Amino acid sequence: MKKEILVIIGLILWSCSKSSEEVAYVPVPMEVEIPTNFPDIVYNLDNNPVTEAGFELGKQLFYEGKLSANDAIPCAFCHEQAFAFTHHEHTVSHGLNDGVGRRNAQPIQNLAYQSEFMWDGAATHLDLQPVIPITSEVEMGETLSNVISKLNADLYYQGQFDKAFEDGEINSENMLKALSQFMIMMISSNSKYDKYVRNEEGGTLSTQELDGLESFKAKCTSCHATDLFTDQSYRNNGLSINPKLNDKGRFNIFENPDDLYKFKVPSLRNVEKSKPYMHDGRFLTLEAVLEFYDSGLVDNGNVDPVFERVDGSLGITLSDYEKESIIAFLKTLTDYEFLNDDRFAEF
Amino acid sequence: MKIMKFTFALLLCAVLSSCSSDDDMEDLAGQTGDLVIKFDNGVGDQDFIFQTSYNKSNGESFKLETLKYIISNIRFKDDEGNVFMYPSEKNVFIVNEADGNNAGEIWVTLEDIDAANYTEVTFGIGIDQDRFALGADGQGDFLTEAENEGMLWSWATGFKFIRFDGTYSTSTVTDEGLNLHMGSVGTALDNYKETILSLPNTVLVRNEKTPEIHIKADILKAFESVTSVNFADGYDQVHVDAVETPVIAANVATMFSVHHVHND
Ligand code: HEC
Ligand code: HEC
Repeated sequence: MKKEILVIIGLILWSCSKSSEEVAYVPVPMEVEIPTNFPDIVYNLDNNPVTEAGFELGKQLFYEGKLSANDAIPCAFCHEQAFAFTHHEHTVSHGLNDGVGRRNAQPIQNLAYQSEFMWDGAATHLDLQPVIPITSEVEMGETLSNVISKLNADLYYQGQFDKAFEDGEINSENMLKALSQFMIMMISSNSKYDKYVRNEEGGTLSTQELDGLESFKAKCTSCHATDLFTDQSYRNNGLSINPKLNDKGRFNIFENPDDLYKFKVPSLRNVEKSKPYMHDGRFLTLEAVLEFYDSGLVDNGNVDPVFERVDGSLGITLSDYEKESIIAFLKTLTDYEFLNDDRFAEF
Repeated sequence: MKIMKFTFALLLCAVLSSCSSDDDMEDLAGQTGDLVIKFDNGVGDQDFIFQTSYNKSNGESFKLETLKYIISNIRFKDDEGNVFMYPSEKNVFIVNEADGNNAGEIWVTLEDIDAANYTEVTFGIGIDQDRFALGADGQGDFLTEAENEGMLWSWATGFKFIRFDGTYSTSTVTDEGLNLHMGSVGTALDNYKETILSLPNTVLVRNEKTPEIHIKADILKAFESVTSVNFADGYDQVHVDAVETPVIAANVATMFSVHHVHND
């Protein structure tokens, strides 16, 4: 009898202490930067307000190998901070068991300002984007349910989900929300160029950089528009077709012939650091990219009319000085504060 | 704390039930009850059975080994025109033929419905734009469930609203692959559809009653209703095609009918 009573009292006490631990959820809001020179934010922060604990959890998940089948390939494997969160020096990324993907990893920056993701727009909500790499056989090769059970067995996550979310559940909803919170905060808006347009200290551009900006405005901003440097449309910029990959780009989504070989116009922020270039990483330098625009376009059947010259050939005519100065300008988009921001760093 | 809540709930139940029993006049205010919707797949006038061949009117035939669809936003209209919407966070279900009982019925149990006399049910097939725009918010474990059920794409973000896998045959080919994995693609392609069904007799939702609505889904209508389609013309593989998917979505929305209602 006595024993039983003791057990019951024990149980009551335990259930009390357990519930008081659960009160660990104290949301400390984090402000998402809204740079004055950016277009409107797209991500709906009301549905997933960023908190310190949620951001911290998201960062941990971003650097967490357990999100992959062999526990060794975190998101950061292909998205490294020093290279604007791209897969450094990889034309196309490789992941699980050295499975080789087909595309060049995109930078993770300013995603809260975009409505569609990936080179072909296959991801239409930032929260759901991670499902693709997690479940892709050549990237992380996992399933959501298995990731969730691995996280459930981990003491750190047991505590951190409690701190980050009111219901404290370790489930796909909260895992994806945390990843989004981390990615939403990754805003690159403090390059020399930004300081120049916002008239801030440190924002003085050299003559060559200014000439580059002028040429860029005249020849590139029909696609690389706004201070995000993308109009977020899908375009065919006349790259020759790589028969090994035969990546049809946007066509893969709707199987619409008008979409053949169209890819999302990439942002050019931190482009100096995110080489190699294009969806398949075919160009190793910015010089090669500008050479391509001047003289390398091929008629793959669906090239954007913007590139048509009066004589019927394709391309954007650029003098040597224009190429040099555009590159000088593009380098002013490098945001060292972002690339060295400890908040996003693994350690 | 939990024990306290539990005792309180018990007390509350006791109070509530003692109140309602000695009252003759029907006062539905504050009362809630459960309701079961039974989904029953068929093909024309036959019950649906896996790996059984069914004929279309154009001479083509098909057999399925997977038959699933997502139902969401279930709501009811009562005899006074009021609409009861089942709470949004719980209001999404995967109806999987493989989960059916021996009678081939898949039960969707809805709890805590406002007591009323319902005359109409409306539901959506798939995930609407508002729900998708919430991203992970409010999804709980649904994403994991959808993944386990193979109703989540892995090459793009989004849900398969319907999933039919099997084979088809025509006069010229035999047992070729048949796969309908249809959904919406972001805001660019919206294939969410709703169906409104009036109930043949009033469904009485009350405290201690669990009425049942028996819904038949005629799978054949996915291929021949608003628009008749031929597998041979490309409708054997329907995924995200901007022309084909809206045709199938519109057809699927006509599949459902209320067979009967049980007022327990
Ligand atoms: C094996 C390498 C690899 C891993 C691991 C990986 N990614 Fe990526 N990521 C890529 C590639 C390649 C692309 C471009 C894919 C495409 O367009 O098809 C990309 C694109 C993205 C984009 C789209 C960016 C944009 O501007 O549209 C986001 C967001 C992203 N990844 C986040 C993540 C997250 C979060 C994880 C971890 C859950 C992750 N990635 C894991 C290689 C990887
Ligand atoms: C018609 C639209 C259009 C115009 C005009 C245009 N671009 Fe692009 N740009 C694109 C597209 C689309 C891509 C991605 C193509 C791909 O990978 O298939 C791209 C890719 C790039 C890249 C590679 C970025 C990366 O991260 O891989 C650079 C650099 C670039 N463009 C610079 C320029 C410059 C400089 C100009 C002006 C001289 C210019 N672009 C004009 C559409 C355009």
